[in-house]
Amino acid sequence: MRIVFLFIMVAFQLSCFSQNRELLYNFTSIPQSLLVNPGADVSYKYYFGIPLLSGVSANLGSSSFSAYDLFANNGVDFNDKVRNIINKSSGKDKTQVNQQLELFSGGFRVGGKDSNSYISFGAYQEFDFLMYVPKDLAVLALDGNQNYIGKAFDLSDLSLRAEVLSVFHVGFHKKMSEKLVLGGRVKIYSSGANATSTKNSGHIYTGQSVGSPNIYDQEISSHLELKTSGISTFTKDEYDGNIAKDIANNTFFNGSLGLGLDAGITYNFKDNLQFTASIVDFGFVNQTKDIETLTYIGQYKYEGVNPNFGISNDPDNVFDEFERAIPRDTTYNKYTTWRPTKFYSSIQYSFGESRFGDDCNCKGSIQRKYTNAIGGQLFIMSMPREPFVALTAFYQRSIFEKLDLKATYTFDAYSNTNIGLGLSGTIGKFNIYGLFNNVLEYKDVSKANSLAFQFGFNFIFQDPKE
Amino acid sequence: MKLNAISTISKVIIASYLFFSCSSDLDFDQVEDLKLEPVVVANLAYFNLPANEIIYNGNEQVAFDISDFDVIRNKFFNEHLKKAAFNFEIENTINRAFSVAILLLNDNEDILDTSTFQVPAYTGGINIIKFPPEVFDNQRLEILKQATKIGFIVRIGAGPPLNQNSPGNLKLRSSATVYMEIQ
Repeated sequence: MRIVFLFIMVAFQLSCFSQNRELLYNFTSIPQSLLVNPGADVSYKYYFGIPLLSGVSANLGSSSFSAYDLFANNGVDFNDKVRNIINKSSGKDKTQVNQQLELFSGGFRVGGKDSNSYISFGAYQEFDFLMYVPKDLAVLALDGNQNYIGKAFDLSDLSLRAEVLSVFHVGFHKKMSEKLVLGGRVKIYSSGANATSTKNSGHIYTGQSVGSPNIYDQEISSHLELKTSGISTFTKDEYDGNIAKDIANNTFFNGSLGLGLDAGITYNFKDNLQFTASIVDFGFVNQTKDIETLTYIGQYKYEGVNPNFGISNDPDNVFDEFERAIPRDTTYNKYTTWRPTKFYSSIQYSFGESRFGDDCNCKGSIQRKYTNAIGGQLFIMSMPREPFVALTAFYQRSIFEKLDLKATYTFDAYSNTNIGLGLSGTIGKFNIYGLFNNVLEYKDVSKANSLAFQFGFNFIFQDPKE
Repeated sequence: MKLNAISTISKVIIASYLFFSCSSDLDFDQVEDLKLEPVVVANLAYFNLPANEIIYNGNEQVAFDISDFDVIRNKFFNEHLKKAAFNFEIENTINRAFSVAILLLNDNEDILDTSTFQVPAYTGGINIIKFPPEVFDNQRLEILKQATKIGFIVRIGAGPPLNQNSPGNLKLRSSATVYMEIQ
């Protein structure tokens, strides 16, 4: 019990932020922007990321509280802090962690110098965790049911999913004309571990009604299901390996396989007015390795002891009765999980002709380069309950020809003061980028509700200037 | 251009400042202090004894039963139980007085604890008595934790005889308020 609670609290602590990459999206001087829009207008002769360092990202935070709220060393009793957090959370509050590490990545132009077709490929490891705050159950654990007569504690509050997987991908994009870029990407997922418990329902109820032979009407109605893949081995007593090592091994070499697609478009209405849209991770994983599904399904009414005067005894054992009514069942069926699908879109207006253009506009291209761009972005991600939506306003500026800055202001369920800053600079062939979300929170990270960052290093080769 | 470069560089420096951040003093060891103190209410026992089923053969003890009472024996429950209070409510619509005894017994059916409730005879009107809670803490709590069975004894008071056509019922309803401490 306590361990479960601790797990919940630690998860809260890690908790967090969506997978919105508002800074990376359409930041086309960074090749990794192709991962959020395979139809982004990115061009190169060829590029490769520095292995393990081309894309390191993490999103952390929480919609209803910060690490400070829980762990501040301020003399307030820990139990009071927990109580405060539970009280101000709702079942809609969620905690989310997403981490990605690019193992390798690269790309090249296909065809000759005048070709506008590009291939990009790579592999990355990803960890996803999503849990809604199980408010009703937390209240029950903290307070009990004494002051909640008539309330049904909702078991559907229990909702989480977690996955570790590796993704191998190949993408193709082509600049069809000055106006249109189209792109797509195929992904093979290899899931090392998955836990899904998102379709729970039922309640724990204590009420009172007139005419009942008992003081209380007490009922547990349960439809709980936890599906796991790649995990059950570790829960067995006889297991004595290294969990981290085994999960890593399964993730890359022995995972449950899945397939996914990304697609994207960039369309220039005018020289300085651009529309983009993409769909990312439209795909599924067939969970087939080391699968185990645990269920607690049933209904139980608790009436207390009812003596049978005069009749021979029929002993009733409450726990046996309970276990018969709501048995723990284990099944071994394959199941399919859908990847959290992301949708992005943006509209961008550029202005201020580039002063650096004078010495680089000599490729015969008549396209003008602008120094500034402003615009808006929309992000939607599928979730077990309702989709996550974020709106972003951004300003992008070329400080030098090879140094770009992007600033964003994002409004979503986690924060309405999320200002992000991103920089991408290229020195020779060497590209460095750093993207930081919620920069206002960096003055005291412990009070942040959400933080996200990404950085990486690439080598990008363009055609030599003529 | 040079001026522009300087301002640009300063911008970069400001941006890089973001790489360094501060954090308030956090104490993760506080998790050790986590203490859950839920108060749970639950049904304890109930019965409904109709007058026409009470067989009176000169013995004042008219009903007796011992039932399993294994909730307390559950390890988790036993370890974290800090206090309990049993609340009894008896309604008598029979024109005889009764006394109801609730016994706590161990596996050998040795009596560990007895609570006795006196109920007056029914004379019309409402005859429901809510008894003050039987509180189990300290010494008495330890006794409760050893209990595995619960016994019920109904004794009848003096008065006119009962037969198959006697009206009324003796109803008992009870609940437990359980104070837990999980650390």
